[in-house]
Amino acid sequence: MKINVTINGAAYEREVPEHVTLLRFLREYVGLAGTKEGCGGGECGACTVILDGRAVNACLVLAAEVDGATLRTIEGEAVNGEHSELQKAFSRRHAVQCGYCTPGMVMSARALIERNPKPSVEEIKEGLEGNFCRCTGYVQIIEAVLEATGQPAANQEGSHA
Amino acid sequence: MLHQFNYLAPRTRAELHGVLAAEGPAACLLAGGTDLLVNIRAGFMKPRVVVDAKKVEGFSGLSWSEREGLVIRAGVTINQILRDARTSIDFPLLVACGRDLASHQLRNRATVVGNIVNASPGADMTPALLCLRAHVTISSKRGEREVPLKAFFKGVKRTVLARDEVVDRIVVPAASKGARGDYFKLKRINGHDLGIVGVALCVDRDGELRVGVSACAPVPLLIEGLDADAPADEVVAAVMAAIKPITDVRASKEYRRHMVEYFVRRLLDEVRS
Repeated sequence: MKINVTINGAAYEREVPEHVTLLRFLREYVGLAGTKEGCGGGECGACTVILDGRAVNACLVLAAEVDGATLRTIEGEAVNGEHSELQKAFSRRHAVQCGYCTPGMVMSARALIERNPKPSVEEIKEGLEGNFCRCTGYVQIIEAVLEATGQPAANQEGSHA
Repeated sequence: MLHQFNYLAPRTRAELHGVLAAEGPAACLLAGGTDLLVNIRAGFMKPRVVVDAKKVEGFSGLSWSEREGLVIRAGVTINQILRDARTSIDFPLLVACGRDLASHQLRNRATVVGNIVNASPGADMTPALLCLRAHVTISSKRGEREVPLKAFFKGVKRTVLARDEVVDRIVVPAASKGARGDYFKLKRINGHDLGIVGVALCVDRDGELRVGVSACAPVPLLIEGLDADAPADEVVAAVMAAIKPITDVRASKEYRRHMVEYFVRRLLDEVRS
C-alpha cells in the first residue's frame, strides 16, 4: 500500500507491503537507519521514535497505521551538521558508550522534555523507563537530560543509581 | 516480521462488523498493537488480515456524563487515561493501575480495551475496572450486548467474545465516581515489568469495599460486598478464600499469597487513613 508521511519535516511517499513495521519502513524503505532494532518486541526502546508528538516503539507500529502522520527520528536532532543541545549533553556527560540505545534514549528524552521542560529525576526515570541501556549505565543518561534542561547535575555521580 | 498479512482500516462499525463476520478466525483486531504485533512476530498468531479498530468512527475518545458514566472507547490509550484531568480526580484507581502498566512508550499505544480483551490474568487495568463495576459493550453484525466485566473472562486469555464480535467501549458507571482506592503491584524491578501479583482496593461513596486481584487465578478476581468498616482480618479472609495462585516462573504460590495479604492490609491502612 502507499504510505505518505512527514519525517523530520520532509514529506515521503513509499509503497510498502501491509505487514511491514514502522521500524522496517524507516530503516529499509526510507533509508533512515539511525533508529535501531533491539528486541523487536517493545521491551528495550532502542527503536523509539516520536509519532504525532508521542514516543512510541517503532517495532510495534505498522507502517500502514501511520499513513498521514508526522514522525520525528534521531536524524532530526542535528541541524546543519550540528548536534542538538540534548545530543551535546549526552556527549559531555558520557551518556553514550556503545551507542546502540542512544537514538531511542534521545527520542524518549526529547518527547519528555517537550511535555515537561524541567523534569525531575523521578520524571526522567519514568520517561526513560522503556529504554534499556546495557553498558553506559543510567546515571550519566539521567545527568545528560538534567543538563540539557538547564538543571546541571554537578558532582552527583552515582547519586541516582 | 516474517508472517505476512493484509491490513484493513474500516471507517464505520458496519464495515468493521462485516469484515469480522466474513473473515472469522482469519482476522485479528488491532488496537494498540502492543500485544498483537508481539504475538505475530513470535509466531503465536498468524492472521490473514489485521483489522485496525482505531480508525472506526466512534471508537476514539474518553467521555464523561452523569447519565452514562465514564466511557472508554476502544481506541483510548493508557496515557490518555493518565493525562485526563477529570479521570485523575474522579477515578484515581484507574490512574493508579495505568501508571504501573508497562513503559511510557507502550502506554502511548496500548489501549484500555486491548488490555481487557487480551485477558491476561495479570492485566493491570482489570483490577481497577472490576472494583469500579465496569461493563463492556460488545457488538457484531448480529447486534449489541452489554456484559459486566466480572462475567467477561472465561480463562487464561479467554473471554466471552465470539470471533465476529468487538468490544466498542468499557463503561465505568457514574456511581463509581469518587471511589477512593489504590493499586499495589509486585514487580521484580521498579520499572517496566509484568506483575507477580496486583491488588486494587476501593471504597465507593455508598460505603462498599471491593478488592480486585490480578495474577492469582486463571481470571482476574473481584471480591465485593464487603463493608467499608469491616475488620482487616475479615477483608483478608475474604480475599484469601477467593484467590488460587499457582507457582510459575515469576513466583511461588506461597509468595503470591503472602504478598496479596500484605498488600490488602497496606491498602486498607491507606484507604482508612
